[in-house]
Amino acid sequence: MQKMKITIAVTGLNNTDNPGPGVPVIRSLKESSAFEPIIIGLVYENLEPGIYMEDLCDKIFQIPYPSTGSEELLERIEDIHQREKIDVLIPNFDAELFSFMKNEKRLLEKGIHTFLPTLKQFQERDKDRLPDYGKKYGIKVPGSINMGSMNQISEIKEKFDYPVMVKGKFYDAYLAYNPEQVKQAFNKISSKWGLPVIAQEFIKGTEVNVVALGDGQGNTIAAVPMRKQYITDKGKAWGGITLSDEKMLNLTRQLIRKTKWKGGMELEMIKTMQNEYYLIEINPRIPAWVYLAVGAGQNIPEALVKLALEQEVAPMEDYESGKMFVRYSYDMIVDLEKFEKISMNREI
Amino acid sequence: MIITEEIKISDNGFVFNSRTGDSFNLNPFGLNIIKLIAEKKEFEQIKEKVLDEYDISDLTFEKDFYEFCALLKHHQIILQDNPLEFK
Repeated sequence: MQKMKITIAVTGLNNTDNPGPGVPVIRSLKESSAFEPIIIGLVYENLEPGIYMEDLCDKIFQIPYPSTGSEELLERIEDIHQREKIDVLIPNFDAELFSFMKNEKRLLEKGIHTFLPTLKQFQERDKDRLPDYGKKYGIKVPGSINMGSMNQISEIKEKFDYPVMVKGKFYDAYLAYNPEQVKQAFNKISSKWGLPVIAQEFIKGTEVNVVALGDGQGNTIAAVPMRKQYITDKGKAWGGITLSDEKMLNLTRQLIRKTKWKGGMELEMIKTMQNEYYLIEINPRIPAWVYLAVGAGQNIPEALVKLALEQEVAPMEDYESGKMFVRYSYDMIVDLEKFEKISMNREI
Repeated sequence: MIITEEIKISDNGFVFNSRTGDSFNLNPFGLNIIKLIAEKKEFEQIKEKVLDEYDISDLTFEKDFYEFCALLKHHQIILQDNPLEFK
């Protein structure tokens, strides 16, 4: 079968100790049996490692942070599109999703396809709305308090036992064993990510995750569960293994059916000793460990591109359990010219 | 006692539980025992075989076997409806 030539723009090339999903997404696309992709790397910083990896991207463009305004970001994307003709755009950062979701139609009118959750799907799974989400979709979630001020720290001991997880609305989480530690975490998080700061009941157990893809009609196109085997001090998986856990898969399928989730997602769950599952977070995009799913038999980025292009995709049911990924760090030696080009011209 | 279907046991004693992601290393004696359990041998048959091969008393075997099975159960490697089933 002849592969379809296609231009795909991907963000998240920051393969650091807190890696973005861009590089694994590109690797997955390059292994596609359906597409022969031309890869446009979109970067925010001039030191994102994906810029310097040989044979990864065909072209690289620097784009402005969404915080500078959606319009500026969109105009830059449209400018790149005029030159490169982007068929599909895969955003990989939580912070940029809002801008792209809001402008999905505008992008499509120009010929740029995306496959993203709806704004409603995106917003209702916000961390500070998790208890309502759990109730609405019949899934266990830890209890939580949205703290708008430090005065609310005293409420914690009335509702939960210590320790508790203290989390930012978008990012960061600290385990706190007493009110003093909650205060410290509150200050750190609120200064960086704003309010509310969320105090979440600590569920003891094993952290397990699922990478999944919903077609927006309630069907689960792909789902692979994984257990983190090696976790960095930022809580990121540095090694993991696929599991054959039917209960987790059923939970995922149910959630996708009820929410009609559209796009890639990562469910973060805690499995207790009593084999109960608590949903602690939903990431509304493909996670950085997605290449494990590809290795286990489900090429999720390829399926996402097909869905974005409105092609038929049959649900993938099989994958190999016991497949592992182990990350590593690697020093690339880079000529100054490349750094100069991206810094000065904002493109390579 | 049934070894759950998610358990993979390699010939060198590496045990992997694909439902939980846990893995364990067994020594040759442990591997012997788990293989006998996997073959659905009864407690008495396992005991007879072990006492034939190793110089240990009934009591020592029963105590060690009990502990080993409790460990297997704890790590969700075996299913055991009746806790006294292996007696």
